[in-house]
Amino acid sequence: MEYWIVETKIQQSNTPFFLFCILNFISALVLPIIQKDATPMKLLSIIKKSLKEQIRNFWILLLTVSMAPFFVFVYYLITEASKPHYDLLVVNLDAGIEYSSQKMNYGNLLISAAQFVKKDSISIPLKIKIDDDKSEAIKKLKNKKSDVLIIIPEDFSLSIHNLSTKKNNNSINIEFIGDLTNVNYMIGAIWANELLNDFIFEATQKTKLLKIKETSLGISGRVDDFNLCVPGLLILSVIMLMFSATIAFVTEVENKTMLRLKLSKISSLEFLTGVGFVQVLIGVISILLTLLVAVWLGFDYAGSILVLIFIAVLTSISIIAFSLLLAACTKTVNEVLIVGNFPLFLFMFFTGAAFPMNGKELFSVWGYSISLQGLMSPTHAISALNKVLILNMEFNDIIPEIIVLVVLTFFYFVIGVLSFQRRHMKVV
Amino acid sequence: MVKVNAKLYSKNKILIHLSNLKKNFGSLTAVDGLSLEILKGEILGFLGPNGAGKTTTINMICGLSQPTSGEIIFSNNKYKNIKNHIGICPQENIFWPKLTCLEQLEFMGEMYGKAGKVSRDRSKKLLELMGLSEKSNVLASKLSGGMKRRLNICLALIHDPEILVLDEPEAGLDPQSRILVRNFIKSLATEKTIILTTHNMDEADRLADRVAIIDYGKLLLLDTPDSLKKSIGEGDILEVELDQDGRENTDVLVKNLNQICDKVKINRTTLMIKSKNLIESVSEITTQIKRMDFKIKEVKMRENTLEDVFIHLTGRKLRE
Repeated sequence: MEYWIVETKIQQSNTPFFLFCILNFISALVLPIIQKDATPMKLLSIIKKSLKEQIRNFWILLLTVSMAPFFVFVYYLITEASKPHYDLLVVNLDAGIEYSSQKMNYGNLLISAAQFVKKDSISIPLKIKIDDDKSEAIKKLKNKKSDVLIIIPEDFSLSIHNLSTKKNNNSINIEFIGDLTNVNYMIGAIWANELLNDFIFEATQKTKLLKIKETSLGISGRVDDFNLCVPGLLILSVIMLMFSATIAFVTEVENKTMLRLKLSKISSLEFLTGVGFVQVLIGVISILLTLLVAVWLGFDYAGSILVLIFIAVLTSISIIAFSLLLAACTKTVNEVLIVGNFPLFLFMFFTGAAFPMNGKELFSVWGYSISLQGLMSPTHAISALNKVLILNMEFNDIIPEIIVLVVLTFFYFVIGVLSFQRRHMKVV
Repeated sequence: MVKVNAKLYSKNKILIHLSNLKKNFGSLTAVDGLSLEILKGEILGFLGPNGAGKTTTINMICGLSQPTSGEIIFSNNKYKNIKNHIGICPQENIFWPKLTCLEQLEFMGEMYGKAGKVSRDRSKKLLELMGLSEKSNVLASKLSGGMKRRLNICLALIHDPEILVLDEPEAGLDPQSRILVRNFIKSLATEKTIILTTHNMDEADRLADRVAIIDYGKLLLLDTPDSLKKSIGEGDILEVELDQDGRENTDVLVKNLNQICDKVKINRTTLMIKSKNLIESVSEITTQIKRMDFKIKEVKMRENTLEDVFIHLTGRKLRE
């Protein structure tokens, strides 16, 4: 009898496919070349099927896509509520002067200038209110309706005029009234003092002895707490893929449709690429939606959108890779929703996604510092986005982050794919 | 070990030969030295109770499970990738709940390498044959139990396989669907080899050309349903339900009845009488019973069934 040994193992790719999985959106194009049985048609079918299922799993999709924009909105409300501002109450008693047959009131000029003045690139957090009556103003101050009360004297215009025409060198007397134990009074008074000095120097055309020039790095001069949070929240939108991607994989296990896929001619690579492609798409849509909400709420970004999308794609692939590991540890969607909270919590709060944070350096590679949090890929994505969107750096400046992101993604993929195949796709 | 031997088919039209197949799951032996042949174009029924090793055997044939020892020999080299030539309708209904009937059939067709249009046409044809045309665009999760089962059979056939494995195909079907599925399976038998696993004797009896009775992973008997039934004695069975009223002299009754018929057994209150031309002896039997002051509650006469064969072989009922 003639016998030929025949392999009955489930069709598994021997191609070193982890590399291709990292760039699975590219593999959609090159797959037919690198793998014998793979066809673009099959891949397209998986993408189509996965997309339909994802859209019909409406609640999971909504959770994934809406979480980060929702966080952006919450952060906006928090930062707006906690934004410092100081109420300055001004009583203008200035009688004004008549100069060259024109009536001048420097007190009024000071008030209108104070409402629009900016210090270099930082807007001065003063809110100017006007009152005509001093005793009424003091009452308001006592009732905490205002932090600082400034009394512009009757001879304010005359004193400025005398100084500018060098008739005399007498100081101009301005009275500040407030609760000296109150921090708001102190900060408000400092800003008011700064404003007055600037106004007097300009009005009397005197030269300042010291002039400070402040240069902001990138758009950091325009950055407030809200802006600082946005790069992390953008990456949070991609981190949220962890649920939808894991569920996409685990659903096949839970519904036992993995059996059908194992029986067909589909390879592990095609399956992972097809499902992964849809998840990357959701990741990109999610990050753009989050950016849109952030911009609508006043996020002022620098840098290129293309670089942002590139980082989003890379981070999405990384999260999908991690999701494979999570899928290997679970069998049902319910399990995913319970077990998945732990890595989601770590990725949200220890990478700087939910709020900016710096980790203690473990080691450095060619000057690039790696902390414990740095073992989670979103840390590097957030760092790259900060550089691009806030500090207006170029792509070259984020190459170290990109390299670490790719290395970690590769690492996640190796472990994720092996674990998933071993747990759910193996012939026993 | 999986092998190919081309001579198998030319000699006896043997498609698959299982030789001393064994599968262990830890200390549990699910399949224990199973040897049998599957012929081209036949409907082979694997009959056995739950946990007998039917599904494990099927999984090994399909390549979903590796035998611990023994051989699976295919008659053709093309079966080296058996998955392309085999279609499975598993015991559970397996489908994508968020895809419509047509979508999932098309998808699976494409996964087996069929071009889009070919896959679509075949999907429509299968849905029509299974009476699911009207449900083409309905999500699979919205179908009734019987419809899901039929969709499951469609999914097994989408790539037009030469070998079809149906694991409990009639499970959970309503009478109408059962007839539809049964007729459909019979219609397929002319062009395909069908392996049927079931613990429903009626299903095996009506559908299978040959039946392999399996228990504890071992093959007990393999033959046509008629031959199997004849193997435990030809003739009919008369079941008499007695109202004993605490009487214990049943041994005397059995002894007296043995003078009329060949085989008489009593199980608690049920008399089982097996004999050829039993209809002619019914009157005499009932008279004998009444003469001994036993009251008859119910009398049933039926033909030999595969369940009787199974009880004869194992000493217990099929569903025990």
